[in-house]
Amino acid sequence: MAVSVTSPFIQVLNTHAETLTNLVEEGRKAMGYFCHYTPVELIHASGLIPVRISGGPGDVEMAYNLAPDFICPYMKRGLEKALAGNYRFLSGLVQGYTCDIACGMANVWADNIEGDLFHILPLPYEDTEKSRRYLHVEYSNLIGKLSDLGGNFSDTSLSRSLELYARIRTHILDFYQRRFEGKLPLSSSELWQVIQAGFVSVPETYLDMLEDLQVELDKLSIPDPSGVPVLISGSLIETPDILDFLESSGGQIVADDLCSGMRSASTSSGSSSDPMERLADLHFNRFPCPSRSRAEDRLPLIQQLIEQSGARGVVFMFQKFCTPHLSDYPFLSDQLKASGIPSVMIELDESWQANAQMGTRLEGLFEIIEG
Amino acid sequence: MEKTRKSNKRLQTAKELSRVVADYYQECGEAKAEGRPVGWMPPMNGAIEIFYAMGLQPVFPENWSPVCAAFGLTPDNFEVSEGMGYSRDLCGYLRNIIGYVNGPIDDPSFPLGSLPAPDIILSPGGGCIPVMKIFHALERRFPEARVLTSDMPQVAVEDIQEHHIEYAVEQVNQLVAFLTKVTGRKLDMDRLSAVVQLSDQACALWDEIMTYRRFIPAPFSAAEMGIMFVMVTRQGTRIAVDFLEKVLAEIKERAANGIGVIENEKIRLFWDNIPLWYNMGVFNYFEKMNGVVVAETYSAAWSLRLDTSSPIRALALKSLMSYPLVSCVSIKKRREMVLKACRDYHIDGVVLHRNKSCVPITLGQMDIKRELEETLGVPSVIIDADHMDERNFSTAQFQTRIDAFMETLLAKKQARR
Repeated sequence: MAVSVTSPFIQVLNTHAETLTNLVEEGRKAMGYFCHYTPVELIHASGLIPVRISGGPGDVEMAYNLAPDFICPYMKRGLEKALAGNYRFLSGLVQGYTCDIACGMANVWADNIEGDLFHILPLPYEDTEKSRRYLHVEYSNLIGKLSDLGGNFSDTSLSRSLELYARIRTHILDFYQRRFEGKLPLSSSELWQVIQAGFVSVPETYLDMLEDLQVELDKLSIPDPSGVPVLISGSLIETPDILDFLESSGGQIVADDLCSGMRSASTSSGSSSDPMERLADLHFNRFPCPSRSRAEDRLPLIQQLIEQSGARGVVFMFQKFCTPHLSDYPFLSDQLKASGIPSVMIELDESWQANAQMGTRLEGLFEIIEG
Repeated sequence: MEKTRKSNKRLQTAKELSRVVADYYQECGEAKAEGRPVGWMPPMNGAIEIFYAMGLQPVFPENWSPVCAAFGLTPDNFEVSEGMGYSRDLCGYLRNIIGYVNGPIDDPSFPLGSLPAPDIILSPGGGCIPVMKIFHALERRFPEARVLTSDMPQVAVEDIQEHHIEYAVEQVNQLVAFLTKVTGRKLDMDRLSAVVQLSDQACALWDEIMTYRRFIPAPFSAAEMGIMFVMVTRQGTRIAVDFLEKVLAEIKERAANGIGVIENEKIRLFWDNIPLWYNMGVFNYFEKMNGVVVAETYSAAWSLRLDTSSPIRALALKSLMSYPLVSCVSIKKRREMVLKACRDYHIDGVVLHRNKSCVPITLGQMDIKRELEETLGVPSVIIDADHMDERNFSTAQFQTRIDAFMETLLAKKQARR
């Protein structure tokens, strides 16, 4: 496997806090967010660096003074890190409304973590002329709040940011297309490192890194496929070790609809001359999260991914206590089974540790698929 | 102490509640038989008044869950939904309703005649995730029903601006247009005005009833909280107003005569989060140590005064405000409400129900706990339980924590004398 080509991305993941702290000390501002429904292009167009909060594997102690233990690992660990001071470089948090916990935790952060702005964007669910008008007002509100922090927004800056993030998405989706065709010389964990690095980088720098990576990938040979091809469905995966574990158990990840994976890039804007309208397009065209959609909306998209990738099974990899995903799971697994695609559901806690039981269940799925 | 227990009620009107509940569900069944369109909807919104104004029958699956719990039927419903693959970590309302509609809904022996199948489903794009997912599951279960997806943004109460209200008004107008198209019935604005006035009147009565709980001794406790049934299911009707007038009259008399829930009320408590619907008897547990739960979060969710001069706008605002007021959408507002209640009702201690089945109301409790101590010097205790699933309720833990808490409160009160 090509290890060296992803070294810059690993470096970013290991040092981003220091990098961002230095940038803030030099006068830049950084704004945290939880979910992809947050309009990062608008934050960037205002001159701030959008930074996705990460949880990662670890213990939870301080966070239990503020939140119950029956919420997802991502939120618990994110709060734990914030309480430990890991996010001192942030000016605050902006959250595009998704699930109850993300909304509630944005408010918990507002009460307990230092910052100048904590804002929840109440997003519409339906794409209509009236909802877009409403959304434009919400965007304007956010622009005003970012401006109070020293942000410098303009339609021109938004057009530039939209273009920048579009180019980033093009590269990410190209990697996925290569994987569909069996031509991506990166393991699943390496692809994970590449994508996660984008959440904590200055986007201009990240684009340069992606362009360099494309050049390097063309030089590499494609390894022979091995393992039972599967799609992973879920929210965030916060350690690449889990992906390695799955693949060492006999699977081969050929597709995902993870919000830390393909869903982070799966959206598009139209061709309106109004950049705010193109921003609204990105919201409504997003590969939906179950917190904002019906399972019936996601099923055909998942089935399309299965077809494109040649996946023969689905591993539902959920964070423990994730209501949106757990609620949709019975319908999705039944429908997939009816169409000949077996699945297994695995839940992970804040340790993000694979264990023998998980291995047994995965191996069981792979055996079923191989018949 | 039992895991499941009905509460001891002192109010005569609370004892009449079983008739009020039965009448409502009988009416739901009769509506179906008469061909009057039946609509299933989430609670806490302005659609109920629209329905009553248009002569339609509103049904509330979420409200049916406490009924199932009171009859001890939730374990069977859980078995169905969990057998379908729904995780035990999901909200108990969700597991109960999905289990019910895929299980015993057609069983003629089900208490209260069971729920009539919906002709209309109002599916929320707003409110909490479990409620959203309940209605998605109902759409699957009842494919013949006509569905309207509402788009009500979740905004903290203190952040509501004119464009939120305008958008919500649009949603209410869309609802009316949808109902007219589907049922052939038109909304008469005079009728709606009358319904909204009745709804506001019920809220005024409810607020007045609650003020009497400031009396020492309190004339009624959270054990009688079932009286809010009419606020959930009958807002906008004369039935709600008549019932609440009777409740008010009884409470006024008790307050005037110094009749409390118990003879020797020493400790006044506030209950945060949803009650344990399978064990409302927990509210009586405090009485053996002369404690009375005189106020709670949940009852505040159902009373929002309406501007009757502008019915559509009033209902839009109600739909916007109700859920955020009691959830983590507005932790700041929620905190203010709890502190105000503690002042108004002379609260000695707060019981924070850390509710496995409701994270939106549980999140923010620790901030509330801290504020209670720092600002008011009011102690609190955390009870780990579940408003629907008795498997997540430990009587031993409850008793141990409450006994110790009450001892502390009594000692503190004694020391102040």
